[in-house]
Amino acid sequence: MIKWKIFKQGVFEELPLQLGVFPFGIIYGVMAIETGLSPLQAFLMSSIIFGGASQIVFLQLLSSGSTMGIIVTSVGAINSRHFLYSLSMLEFLKSLSLKWRILLGYLLTDEAYAVSIRKFMNEPNKQFIHFHLLGSGITLFLSWQLSTLTGIFLGGDLPEFLDLQFIIPLTFIAIVIPMIKSISTLFVVISSGFAALICKNLDINFWIILAACVGIISGVLTSKMDKKL
Amino acid sequence: MIWTTIFLCGLVTFLIRFVPLSGVLTKEIPPFLKNTFKYIPLAVLTPIIVNDLSIIQNNNLYLMDNYKLYAAIVAIVVAIVSNNILVTIFVGMASFLIMSNFSNI
Repeated sequence: MIKWKIFKQGVFEELPLQLGVFPFGIIYGVMAIETGLSPLQAFLMSSIIFGGASQIVFLQLLSSGSTMGIIVTSVGAINSRHFLYSLSMLEFLKSLSLKWRILLGYLLTDEAYAVSIRKFMNEPNKQFIHFHLLGSGITLFLSWQLSTLTGIFLGGDLPEFLDLQFIIPLTFIAIVIPMIKSISTLFVVISSGFAALICKNLDINFWIILAACVGIISGVLTSKMDKKL
Repeated sequence: MIWTTIFLCGLVTFLIRFVPLSGVLTKEIPPFLKNTFKYIPLAVLTPIIVNDLSIIQNNNLYLMDNYKLYAAIVAIVVAIVSNNILVTIFVGMASFLIMSNFSNI
């Protein structure tokens, strides 16, 4: 039962990460109800999109009245990093059937990738390693659904004075700050931040996309002089 | 409308995760393009943070008594020191509540 053993290893290595994932899912669930989604919409979004930060971006843009095009583009942009994860896993998974690759592609998130790519690279016998990603992916999936449900139940009952909308920028600060690891990433943050101030003030409705482009371009331009911070 | 948006976001996200695994991409991704990917999440999330802090309101800089801005600065410091999402949210929220409720005393 080597498959089962590798699957279980994936599950157990994924579990500690749920300390961070579970509260985040609760926050998402609460926010979704506060934003005015129905409980069913809030719950199913967690399996249809299945991406934490992007779901909160969805809520933020929806509540500020953005168009469907802007929301879909922004969610895609947030999740675009998974493209690189998927690319780096191709060499380990390319012999699998299409069904397997669809399932594992669906389950490929930050937390599952982080745990399973290590196994993929370090395990000498590569025959059944995909069961590791199945284990870590399913664990994260179940935890995300369960924490979303918990948040949905809490949703309406929280005291008014908490001003929960403020959790969104705080969450993003907590995500963004550790990502600033070099001069160029610092430039991305500063320039996209300033661009957002200016664009928003000019009442450009695709301000977020425009500001993001300014950030990406200045990151690329400064990447030559990159140093670790 | 909301359902359509949710489904489209789900489709786009799934394709991002699945297309490289599907093996349809035969050409190597140029390193220049790979390099831009790592900047995208930062470049999208930062404008949302800035916007939520309402630093500009009605064409005026809003810095005085902007408790969200002050609390965000506290959260940035906490994020640098603790590197922990929950601690950052908790301290940021607590400092915002304290400032906005006790500012008149």
